[in-house]
Amino acid sequence: MKLDGTNTLAAPVDAVWKTLNDPEALRRCTPGLKELNPTGPDSYQATLSIGIAAVKGTYAGTLRITDKEPPKHYKIILEGTGGAGFMKGEGTVDLEPQGGGTLLRWAGDIQVGGLIAGVGQRMLGGVGKMLIGQFFKCLEQQFGATASAGDVRPAPGDAPSSGQASPRGQGDR
Amino acid sequence: MKPAAFEYHAPRTIEEAVGLLAEHGDDAKVLAGGQSLVPLMNMRLARPRVIVDINRTRGLAGLGEARGMLRIGSMVRQRAAERSVLVASRCPLLREALGWVGHPQIRNRGTIGGSIAHADPAAEIPAVLAALGGEVTVRGRRGPRTISAAELFVTYLTTAIDARELLTEVRVPVMPRAAGWSWMEIARRHGDFALAGVGVMLAMRGKVIADARIGLTGVGPIPVRAAAAERVLVKQHPSDALWQRAAEAVRAAIEPEGDLHASADYRRHVAGVLTVRALREAHARAGAPRGRAGGRPRGEAA
Amino acid sequence: MEPRDVTLTINGRAYRARVEPRKTLADTIREDCGLTGTHLGCEHGVCGACTILMDGEAVRSCLLFAVQAEGADLRTVEGLAESPADGGEPRLHPIQQAFWEHHGLQCGFCTPGFLMTTVAFLRDNPHPTEREIREGLAGNLCRCTGYQNIVKAVAAASGMLTSTPRRAARARRTYGGATNGKQGGGVRRRTPEHPGRQRKPPA
Repeated sequence: MKLDGTNTLAAPVDAVWKTLNDPEALRRCTPGLKELNPTGPDSYQATLSIGIAAVKGTYAGTLRITDKEPPKHYKIILEGTGGAGFMKGEGTVDLEPQGGGTLLRWAGDIQVGGLIAGVGQRMLGGVGKMLIGQFFKCLEQQFGATASAGDVRPAPGDAPSSGQASPRGQGDR
Repeated sequence: MKPAAFEYHAPRTIEEAVGLLAEHGDDAKVLAGGQSLVPLMNMRLARPRVIVDINRTRGLAGLGEARGMLRIGSMVRQRAAERSVLVASRCPLLREALGWVGHPQIRNRGTIGGSIAHADPAAEIPAVLAALGGEVTVRGRRGPRTISAAELFVTYLTTAIDARELLTEVRVPVMPRAAGWSWMEIARRHGDFALAGVGVMLAMRGKVIADARIGLTGVGPIPVRAAAAERVLVKQHPSDALWQRAAEAVRAAIEPEGDLHASADYRRHVAGVLTVRALREAHARAGAPRGRAGGRPRGEAA
Repeated sequence: MEPRDVTLTINGRAYRARVEPRKTLADTIREDCGLTGTHLGCEHGVCGACTILMDGEAVRSCLLFAVQAEGADLRTVEGLAESPADGGEPRLHPIQQAFWEHHGLQCGFCTPGFLMTTVAFLRDNPHPTEREIREGLAGNLCRCTGYQNIVKAVAAASGMLTSTPRRAARARRTYGGATNGKQGGGVRRRTPEHPGRQRKPPA
């Protein structure tokens, strides 16, 4: 499953890079992250309790950051297994200055297998995108809400919390 | 494949049920028809610590009409609604869509409220609720509140109903007497979840469309009410070209996901095709008599 | 949670069991009540092998917990055949008879589910068309037969269950098959999509 996206963050590249490498920020923003313990430089043991509505599974695994080119590029490799299945993913993150802020481009290739992949096939892509979206929404909140380039607003009271699912953006209501 | 252990309660009253949900919150799951929840439990994809079985809870299975709304208790079985003369005459779109829900055995236990609360992205009943602009009543410790269809569906399997609230009633506006309707769906096998499904209602005034509703399922995380496509239709004269324009508006309004079963392009394309067919059929039915004879046999496209 | 006592009324008889709330009705019927005619195919509600009747309606017993079924009138495949009072040979239910005569089963694993579904289906729709039969049985899967003979059996059963010769003849015409139990025997109904081969008359 290949996913990608872009986000604009209201902070300069260096600040964003710092946050992306900060285990505290990762701990805060990764949906369902229960444990993130460093096991070496840029290497962590992680426990994730992830899912949607009643369908939840706990995955234990590892997260590694490699190919670092500060402050603009790195690669994340994660693997986890749990009762409901397993997952393996690789993603790249690229940062570019944009106006006063940062344009973040991410791209990932994720394989999900086991029961959850079989039964949840038709929702996997959508839920995956949604969870990743939650991660970046949370990051956005760390720095302040984003708007179009050049129009940077200070920390908003009305940005959705990272725990909330992304709102319905389909059709026109 | 056996479910994990859970604490089991079978409250007899709504108050009792709400009390249990308030006490256990996120640890509890309501068990209604069980046709969606129990498979997840059997596979251990869901392991609720507490089950609140509302099959013996009184006061949830009424079926009636009031103030222009068809009122359906959350525990009304899908099969009962499918066979109901009241539903057939007040909301034939719901009746037709029900024929596509799973299989007879599923509909014998599955409930109207359960399907809505479960909010599967490819389910039929949520899409009908969204298309017709229905609403639900949920009850928490602090009493009942109403949630409109527009606010109810949040994302995959997620509604705005809090874990401490119980869905008690579903309401859909009674369809205008002379309105036409159609539910069209495509799935790989009988009873499979829809790759794409469209529900349509057309109300005519003379030769012109007075009101149009279009709801889609299977094309996103929640049911889509295609309001832009509806606007294309209102005040227009029916024609094949008009249906095509509405279908274009539908295609522009959706962002389906691709998966193993169908690509995003296919779903988008098929959503448009089904829209055209459904509009055609709804128009043909507008003004026609309803009742048990209304509706084509399930499994046949018009 | 602690096991609890339940009393299940199956085929008119009371069965007592002590089960955890999470024990499914299917498992309880099989293990605690000794009625193993109800089968487990998928345990997630798609195959229909576990179908029983609960208060007259066909339901998937793998998606019910035993504790939910107390007080209900449950019917399983064991309740279909009639055992005569004098202890003679049991008499097959007409639907079982039809499945037998029309080779509507091979390994038999799906058969109890099909039989129970058919009992409820024909009660609600005594004169089904072929399409309605396929629709009504859509919740039951069979890996052996390819469904052809199952549909024939149900069509024949509808004829056997109906009371007048005229209705029975109509039921036979619905599938047009011979009722002599020949494998794949009889005349297939021809449709524009399936004109079939031309048959030579017997010499």
